[in-house]
Amino acid sequence: MLLKSGSGSGPSGGAALPELHRRLRWVALAGIGAFFLLAGRLWQLQVMNGEGYFERTVSNVVKERYLSSVRGKILDRTGVPIADNRPAFNIYLTPGKADQPQVARDEIVRLLGLSGDEIEQVDQRLAIGRKRDPKKPMLVLEDQGRDRAALVEQALARLPGVEVHHEPYRFYPQGDIAAHLVGYMTQMTADEADRMLANDTSELVGRYGLEAAWENYLRGKKGIERFAVDARGQRLDEKTAATLIEGERVTGAVPGANLVLTIDLELQKLAEKAIKDSRVPAAAVIMVEPKTGKVRALVSRPSFDPNVMTGHLTRQEYEMLRKDPRKPFVDKALRATYAPGSVFKFVAALAALEDGLSADETHLCQGYYELSGTTFKCNGTHGKQDLIGAIQHSCNIYFWKLAESIGLDRIAEVARLYGFGAPTNLGLNGDGSGRIPTKAWYEQRTKYKVGYATNAATGQGDVEVTVLQMAMAYAALANGGTLYVPQVVERVEASNGQTINTYQPTVARQLPITADSLDIWHKGMWKVTNQAGGTAFDHGFLSTIRVFGKTGTAEIRTRAQKKGEDERDIENWNPRRSHAWFAGWVGDHDPEIAIVVFVEHGGSGGRVAWPIAKQILEGYAAKRTSVAAPAGDSVKQPLLPSGKAAIKAMEKPAP
Amino acid sequence: MRGTGLQLPRATIGVSRWRRFRAAVDWPLILTVVALCGIGLLNLYSATRGTRHHAKFDTQVKWMVVGAIGFVIATAIDYRALVRLAWLGFGTAVLLLIVVRLLGEEAAGKGSYRWLNIFGMGIQPSELAKIMVILALAQMFQDGDLSRQPPAVLAAKGFALAVPVGLIAIQPDLGSAVLIGLLIVTTGFLVMQSVWPMVHLTLGSLLSIPILWETMHDYQKNRILAFLDPSSDPTGNGWHTRQSIFAVGSGKISGKGWGEGTQNQFDFLPEHWTDFPYSVWAEEWGFIGSVFLLAIFAFLLVWILNVALSAKDRMGAVICVGVAAMTFWHVVVNIAMVLGLAPVVGVTLPFVSYGGSSLVVFLCAMGLVANVSLRKHGY
Repeated sequence: MLLKSGSGSGPSGGAALPELHRRLRWVALAGIGAFFLLAGRLWQLQVMNGEGYFERTVSNVVKERYLSSVRGKILDRTGVPIADNRPAFNIYLTPGKADQPQVARDEIVRLLGLSGDEIEQVDQRLAIGRKRDPKKPMLVLEDQGRDRAALVEQALARLPGVEVHHEPYRFYPQGDIAAHLVGYMTQMTADEADRMLANDTSELVGRYGLEAAWENYLRGKKGIERFAVDARGQRLDEKTAATLIEGERVTGAVPGANLVLTIDLELQKLAEKAIKDSRVPAAAVIMVEPKTGKVRALVSRPSFDPNVMTGHLTRQEYEMLRKDPRKPFVDKALRATYAPGSVFKFVAALAALEDGLSADETHLCQGYYELSGTTFKCNGTHGKQDLIGAIQHSCNIYFWKLAESIGLDRIAEVARLYGFGAPTNLGLNGDGSGRIPTKAWYEQRTKYKVGYATNAATGQGDVEVTVLQMAMAYAALANGGTLYVPQVVERVEASNGQTINTYQPTVARQLPITADSLDIWHKGMWKVTNQAGGTAFDHGFLSTIRVFGKTGTAEIRTRAQKKGEDERDIENWNPRRSHAWFAGWVGDHDPEIAIVVFVEHGGSGGRVAWPIAKQILEGYAAKRTSVAAPAGDSVKQPLLPSGKAAIKAMEKPAP
Repeated sequence: MRGTGLQLPRATIGVSRWRRFRAAVDWPLILTVVALCGIGLLNLYSATRGTRHHAKFDTQVKWMVVGAIGFVIATAIDYRALVRLAWLGFGTAVLLLIVVRLLGEEAAGKGSYRWLNIFGMGIQPSELAKIMVILALAQMFQDGDLSRQPPAVLAAKGFALAVPVGLIAIQPDLGSAVLIGLLIVTTGFLVMQSVWPMVHLTLGSLLSIPILWETMHDYQKNRILAFLDPSSDPTGNGWHTRQSIFAVGSGKISGKGWGEGTQNQFDFLPEHWTDFPYSVWAEEWGFIGSVFLLAIFAFLLVWILNVALSAKDRMGAVICVGVAAMTFWHVVVNIAMVLGLAPVVGVTLPFVSYGGSSLVVFLCAMGLVANVSLRKHGY
């Protein structure tokens, strides 16, 4: 060995320092031990665990960011957007270490001339960002104007850690039109952000209406951008990044699919306007194509502006909406259930006709009716009535007598056939079932009395239905006995306009009803709207189109008034007043459109609901030719191939 | 070499002095040192190019020239003459340590005084002290029998050796203080007739650690605590160690390639050119390069001990043992720190770390070894 030979060849054979010579073995052992310890540690770090540490150093410099996909639009049947996207400019600042961003922050404040509130907001968000992850860009100024974004972008060189992103924001060009149908979006929960590859919980997710139900289609697929940073979190230039990152640096986002609805925005607007014009506090209107079950208009008012609900709702506004006794957040067309009143009478009539009732059979209406010692009043004294007359005048006594002979369970059976008591399967906003009581149902609770059957025949008592159920039932009456599943989405198309899926009308069931029975009911409805004495005709007549109709005035069970309820100053709002209904359709042998108007606590169906329906149908008649056009002729929006192009296109000023 | 001359043909007896000198110069030692300096420059270039620290490469080259001159001087002047002046040099070093305490420049934010500004050059007296301690040890142990020295003188010398350790410790520069302590103890172990005084000294030092702990600055305590549990404060004191381990490990077997180490290129290792050059090296050259560098240091140590064993006199042997001890502890402590086996202390890696004082002192120390090696031939 080197040491030995060295010692041997020395002039004194190591004699110069005999102590060293003696202890050489120990020195060599200690030295070799120390170096082997270091080499062993190197083996452990580099050879045994090298791969893991390599990954760690890669993740030190290579970061990932999800690229947002442009959300699909919601369009009416002709392609007019109800939910759209607009460009928003968001300014981000990376908090970094300690007071590093102060320079950039001061510069932004100076450059944009921020107000006191805005400065406070920037500082707050910076503080939050620093606490959460100082290396991650924090959104400090949201939804800024184009000029502000341009100012910052020009000065980026002087603004370390500042980024400006153009991000599409959800925008509802129609405001509160069809608000309950379209719904709104809110910020994600942490769980959702994790599941949907969001960068953070400031992203929005569909929370209500179609925005929620069709989230998976509308959302699209996120892209991923990988980039390199140094130890301070500063982004490295493209060339360096290219050498550090293997594979694709950007995986493009796939934009969400567009929903093309069956809704006709013109009809929808007509309906919303009619409600507004009538100054009723709360109402719902549904218009359905009887031959397909496609919903052409779907209104629930009062509603909200989805633009406000989507990310801009203040606590104050929310409280105001929440405390409103008319319940603006409840979908009165799809979810809430109400007593239907006389529009429900077709159930008892058709049940009796199918059981062999002759349309000529008459009953005498003296204006009152005694049952088990209680006197019930009719809405008038109608005298001798046959079935058609009883429909025309909405004579209760005739239907009470019918109910006594056919019984509650027969009424319930037919009601269920027409879709009552079960969800319509529209699959939106709760889709209520309502309630169709039977003898068994009453016996479970109290004791069955014949009065329950007479109540049910006139749509009172414990019968509760949704407005949509009523619309689908009347559509079935109009088309000769086919009950459809309601449909609001016509088709789903990709962002380039290619159809992904077209939805066909779905039949819920063919109703076991003879044409003769239906014809008698039709005749009654015709008289309601077209002959003197008809409950609707007395409040207005439509001469331009053939309208079949039935009114309903559903009494509210008296209940103790909640304290302070009426102190609120809402015009026409009286929670003890009856619900007003009108149900009908246009066209006899070839029914075009069925309509149901419901006014919550509106009072008389003929006086309140029918005029609204009349106004809508007048407008419908005027525009009839365009409505009758097949859906295939719908106007195509300029369709955009990718997310970036979409944003660019949105930046162009609207013509 | 003795006796070989007799067998040579007479014609070669009159060989020129220059050729004899050339034959006597310790070329393996010089080549090893040149190799280490080359590796140091290569590594420094990779660590600083393209950053605002790129001027450090030129500075290091200048210091290397200064160091080379120091090497020649340390080789040329007979070490026996140098050792005769050992206590004078030692006294000067102590004086400078006192001056630096009073006038020195404060290291940024650390409250420690390590630097002295002479003619615009930053000088660390603690580095100079190391070489003076080695010469003083050579003077003290030139006679194997310590009993021949008056006990009072011996005690005074022993006490004097403790002075620079104390002065450096209160700078405070714990790393250098501990290193000089280790240098003294190790040399003592290897050159004293009995090992017992050094065993007692070592045990005494270990027992005084709790007292030492109490007098330490918070940042020193934190560094040691961070070493014991690096994950306790991943962005603070544990940061250096963790990032250094990541860098070393990520080199895997063959390394990322020169200039390709992401950990050092993108500043995940702050100040990596002074205390963590081995981390840079290990990241870019992998296990193979890391062990290669370790082997060069091992060879250097073996060679210095080889010179010690073949030295003409006891004085020269002690010098070599001192230099070997100093080099050994620098290498082991620095690399252990880089590999997360020791706390982060400011101990340089000889010839590889950036820094003039350390480079010049090590080159001078090697000059002393070359001096001893040369003079075993009668120069």
